[in-house]
Amino acid sequence: MKNGFRQSMAWLHTWTGLLVGWLLLLIFMAGTASYYREEISRWMRPELPRSTVSADQAAANALAFLQHKAPQAESWNVSLPDTRNPAMRTFWRNPESMVKPPAEGEKRRRRGGGRFGDATLDANTGQEVSARETRGGDFFYRLHFDLHYIPVIWARYIVGFCAMFMLVAIISGVITHKKIFKDFFTFRPQKGLRSWLDFHNVSAVMALPYHAMITYTGIVTLMLLYLPWGVKVAYPNDEDAFFSEAFARMAEVEGPAQGRAAPLPIQQLLDSARMHWNGAEVAGFVMHRPGAANAVIDIQQRDGKRLTIDTPSLRYDAVTGELLDTSPGAGAATRTRGVMYGLHLARFADWGLRALFFISGLIGCLMVASGVVLWAVKERPKHAKSGRTGLGLRLVDALNIGAVAGLPIAFAAYFWGNRLLPLQMAERPAAEANVFFWAWGAALLAAFIWPKRMMWAWQLYLGAALFALIPLLNASTTNAHLGASIAAGDWVLASFDLCMIAFGAMLAYCGWRMQHWQPPLSAAEKKRRQQAAAEASA
Amino acid sequence: MMLLVLGLSFAAFVALSFAMEKHQLDLYGKAAASTARMQLWRWLGWGLLTAAFALCVWRHGWALGPVWWLGAMTVAGLLLAFGLYPYRPRWIAPLAWVLPVAGLAAASLL
Repeated sequence: MKNGFRQSMAWLHTWTGLLVGWLLLLIFMAGTASYYREEISRWMRPELPRSTVSADQAAANALAFLQHKAPQAESWNVSLPDTRNPAMRTFWRNPESMVKPPAEGEKRRRRGGGRFGDATLDANTGQEVSARETRGGDFFYRLHFDLHYIPVIWARYIVGFCAMFMLVAIISGVITHKKIFKDFFTFRPQKGLRSWLDFHNVSAVMALPYHAMITYTGIVTLMLLYLPWGVKVAYPNDEDAFFSEAFARMAEVEGPAQGRAAPLPIQQLLDSARMHWNGAEVAGFVMHRPGAANAVIDIQQRDGKRLTIDTPSLRYDAVTGELLDTSPGAGAATRTRGVMYGLHLARFADWGLRALFFISGLIGCLMVASGVVLWAVKERPKHAKSGRTGLGLRLVDALNIGAVAGLPIAFAAYFWGNRLLPLQMAERPAAEANVFFWAWGAALLAAFIWPKRMMWAWQLYLGAALFALIPLLNASTTNAHLGASIAAGDWVLASFDLCMIAFGAMLAYCGWRMQHWQPPLSAAEKKRRQQAAAEASA
Repeated sequence: MMLLVLGLSFAAFVALSFAMEKHQLDLYGKAAASTARMQLWRWLGWGLLTAAFALCVWRHGWALGPVWWLGAMTVAGLLLAFGLYPYRPRWIAPLAWVLPVAGLAAASLL
C-alpha cells in the first residue's frame, strides 16, 4: 500500500481496472448491444414478415394454429408481436404420457424430448414461418453474463467478479479524481497522456450515474447466485417456495383437464385485462388446459410505464371470463429488486430513452477502453528510457489491441456470419457464435504477434470495413436491404443498416488518427522550433 | 419534448461552465468576468437543470422522469465537453440559445 489515502486509491483504481479491463470491455459491448436485442434479432431473420394486424387478431390466429398443431397440450404460451420485433412466438407443453423415454445409453432424455414444442408464426396469417436459425441479439445478451464455451455457473462467477472490481474501480476512481468539478468539461486533445486522462475522466464523469447504476444493478440481477446462504438457511429443502413467495407470483395451475367446453373469444378476455389495467397493453398469455371446461388463461401486461421488471398478470377462467387471481403485491425488498432489475434491462424504455441508454453504454465502453490504453501510455516512457519494451507492457499492448480494436471486428463478423453461412447448415446458431470467436481469436493472435501502432490502425480499418460494408452484404444476400426497407418505412431494418455505416465511419476515423499519430513535442523541442522559426523570419 | 430537455440541459451546462474561470479564459481569452457575474451564471445553470428535471417528471412521471433527466444531461455534457469546447468553441453560446428554442418549437408543434 502506498502512502496517503488518495495515492492508495489511485493504486487500487489502476490495478482493479487493468486486471479485468479487457473482459469488462466484452461485457460492456455485448451488454450495450443488448439494448437493441430485439432489433438485432429482427435484422438477423430478414425472412420474417411484419405484423399488420391488431393484437387481438394475432392472438386469435395463434390460438387457431395451436388448436390445429397441439390440441393435446397441457398449456399454450403465446407472446404477441410488437413494433420492435414482429415475430409471434408460441410454445406448448405436452403431457407426460406423450414424452418419449430417454434414448438407450442416455441418463436423461435429450432437451425437450418431446415435452415442449415451439413455433414462430406470421401474425397476419397464423402460419408457421421458416426463418433462418439464429440466436440473433440473444447471443449478445447471453454473452454479457454467461460468456461462451464455459459452464454458465463459472461464467456468472467470473462476470460477477469483474463487476465487483468495476464497482471498486468506480468508487476509487471518483476519490482519485482530484478535480472532478474543476475539470468537469475539460478535454484537451493532442496532448498525449493528458488527453487520454481527460478523455477517461470526462467519459466517466458525464455518465457516472449510468456507470454506477449499470454495475450495481448488474450485480443485483445475480445476487442470489453470489449470496445464496440466506435462502439456504430459511428454505433448506425447497428453494422454489422461496422464489414463488418472494417474487410474488401466482400459484402454479395444477390438476388435470376436466370436460370439454369452448372458451370465450380471446378478444373478450384480452379486453377485460386491458380494462382492469386502465388500458395497458397485453404482452402475451398462457392458456392452461386448453379446450377443457376448467381452462384458465394468464394474461401478462406489456412493459412500458414502470421501471420494475415484475410486470403484473391476471388469471381468468377462459370459459366464463371470471377473474380468478391477480399477481400478488410484492414486498418492499422484492419491489426494490424489481426496480433495479428493471433499470438494468431498460425494457420500459421507448425509442428515445433507449437511445440515451445506448449512448451511455457506448460511453461506458469508451471509458473502459481509454482506461486500459491509458495504462500503456503512462508506462511507455519508462520503457523508452531503457530502450526496450518490457514483457508487461507488451502483454498489455497486445491485449489492448486485441480487445479494443479486435472486438468490433468480432461483432461485425457475427453479422457477416448470419448472412453468409449456408441457410440449411446444421447447428447454424452455434456456427454463428463460432464466427464471432474465430474473428476475435484471430485479432488477438495478430495483436500478440506484432503489438505495434500500425496493428492498431490495421485492425481498426478492418473493423471499419466490415461494419461499413454490412448494408452492401445485406443487399446482395437478402431482399431486406436499405432500398426496400426505407421504401416500406421499415425503420427498424433501415436504422440497423444506417447504424452499421455510422460505426464503420467512427472506426475508420479512429484508425486514421492512429495511422497519422505524431508524438507530441516536448516543451524544449517546441521552444527550439519557435526560435528557429523566429530566426528564419528575422 | 426530448429535444427540449436536451436543449435545457445543454444550456444549463453551458451556463455552469461559464461560471468557471477556466472556460471564461477559453472562450474570451481575457481575464474572467466579475464574481457577481459568475455567481449569476451558476444560479442560471442550476435553475435550468431544475427546469429540465421538472419537465421530465411532468412528462414521464416520478419513475421514468429522473432516468430521462440523467440520460439527457449525459448526452448534453458529452456534446459540450468532447465536441464544442475543444473543437468549436464559437458555437457554444449560439447553440445554448438555439437548442432550447428549437426544442420548444418542436414540443409545441408535435
